[in-house]
Amino acid sequence: MTRASPTALVADDEPLLRGTLTRLLGAAWPELEIVAEARNGREAVEMFEARKPDVCFLDVHMPGLTGVDAARKIGRGAHLVFVTAFDQYAVQAFEHGALDYLVKPVEAKRLDETVARLKERLHAAVPASDLGALLEQIAARLKPEPSRAPLRWIHASVGQELRLIPVDEIDFLRSDEKYTLVAWRDAGRPSEALIRTPLKDLTDQLDPEQFVQVHRAVLVNRRAISHLTRGANETAHIHLKDRADVLPVSRSYLHLFRQM
Amino acid sequence: MQAALAPPSSRGIQRILSPRRVGLTIGACALMGLIVSPLWVIPAIEVMARAMMVGLVALVVFGVFERWPKSLPDWLARWALQVVAVVCAIPLAVLFLYLAISVGDELPFWKSEGRVTGFFTLSVTGVALASWMAMSALLRQRDEAARNLALAFELERSELERKALDARLRLLQAQVEPHFLFNTLANVRELVDSGSPQASKVLDTLITYLRAAVPRLQDPSTTLGQELQLVRAYLELMQLRMDDRLQFAIDADAAAEPMRCPPTTLLTLVENAIRHGIDPSEEGGRIDVVVRLREGRVHAEVSDTGVGLRGQINGLGTGLSSLRERLQLAFGAVADLRLVSREPHGTRAVVEFPADAVKA
Repeated sequence: MTRASPTALVADDEPLLRGTLTRLLGAAWPELEIVAEARNGREAVEMFEARKPDVCFLDVHMPGLTGVDAARKIGRGAHLVFVTAFDQYAVQAFEHGALDYLVKPVEAKRLDETVARLKERLHAAVPASDLGALLEQIAARLKPEPSRAPLRWIHASVGQELRLIPVDEIDFLRSDEKYTLVAWRDAGRPSEALIRTPLKDLTDQLDPEQFVQVHRAVLVNRRAISHLTRGANETAHIHLKDRADVLPVSRSYLHLFRQM
Repeated sequence: MQAALAPPSSRGIQRILSPRRVGLTIGACALMGLIVSPLWVIPAIEVMARAMMVGLVALVVFGVFERWPKSLPDWLARWALQVVAVVCAIPLAVLFLYLAISVGDELPFWKSEGRVTGFFTLSVTGVALASWMAMSALLRQRDEAARNLALAFELERSELERKALDARLRLLQAQVEPHFLFNTLANVRELVDSGSPQASKVLDTLITYLRAAVPRLQDPSTTLGQELQLVRAYLELMQLRMDDRLQFAIDADAAAEPMRCPPTTLLTLVENAIRHGIDPSEEGGRIDVVVRLREGRVHAEVSDTGVGLRGQINGLGTGLSSLRERLQLAFGAVADLRLVSREPHGTRAVVEFPADAVKA
């Protein structure tokens, strides 16, 4: 199916930059008709469904759905050109996958090259390539990685407030039946809060250099330990700095405190 | 770490009778025995052996009073106790020694002139030598303790210096994100190309922002006034880019402006509000910056009506954690940074630190 003039969608959350691309495209490719301007990924997908343009220019960084997410939904429905300001990962990935992309601020020469390639494909009626797997990879790459870096803050309700507690300020964590008790210092004052996250989920996320597991139900910040006393039957108790709490050390963790 | 956890040492005996101490004691006693041996009729080696036995008893007494009793009254110094104990122990030890070697003699030893001379000679020389040795051992220990303390201080100081340097380096790296810069430049270019009258004003704002944000290593402390100027420039640029997705207001006590403020403290909070609050939201939201001077403390608050804290712990960490560290380095424990969720959505970040006017 051929149309009288090619159509395009431009998606960018920054209004001025949508204007730039539209204006530059008008100069580089006068026949191209911009049929839709989207402010975010969700709008881009909706407008694509409504107007079925031949080409979609998608900003990578947009609120809600990103340009890459939107591209995955659009699939092979249109030729895709990604636009990004500065994102080494994205640029590397586009380069590697031989995807079309533009870098902001968009240069006229670079846009001319892109336009020439698009015209060629539209003229030869080359179908848009299947980028599904590649885009999935890129999308995964662009998402903030959840678990690599150690946890730095823990969400907890303190009184009426939902607070972010810096893990450095936590003295110890103890799991009770349903909750995990967070004993921490609120501006130096010993405080306590309950959270729903099970202790075993936190264990993997906290920096092992900082927090030691001393008991099935207890993680303690090394900084908070004052001293250790030995108990009967190969157990011990940890005494904390400026806190009355005494934490148990079970037999299987006692080796952590043997002198080197 | 290990040191902090070490249980009270159960190896007291090993310390009291360390090979070094025993060796020194035996050596000194042997020498003394040899020197005074011409006064005895018995072979020199036997005199040396007697001196060594007395010496070892003195060493044990010295060691025992080094740790026992655990606490002493204020008027009694431990070193004095140790020296007195050693001085008292020597004649007693010599007495027992002479009682032991006189077993089987016809007369008790105090009736034999030779024995009595021996007893006194050994006691007097022993007391002299032992008190001298005890004193020098104590002096040595004191010097060593002082040196260890000095080393510990030195270590702590270099640790602090390293942390300060790290924080400064991180600050250097954190400033002026390329993504922000290129996006803003793309916007400026559009204004210029389209002949907008706004162009030159926006360029000025960008210059103000860059001037404040480009690292100034020689000037580690800025004023709140400068910081507010930086924040205003940043927010104006973001508003240009985000248009109706961002509203903001800045409300600061004029009296707070000359106060000292670690560089980019407020900017970090505002950037955070944009990045994690406003930017991920399709509708955007509003940012309010409030700075107050209260009872000698600066109270700065950045609130947004963005998507809020829930479900996005990671990534949120780096900027705020390094800000927390910088505040701690600048003010110690008296600075405070808190993050709180707002209803129905959004986040409020609060920083408090002592107000301290920068001298003009």
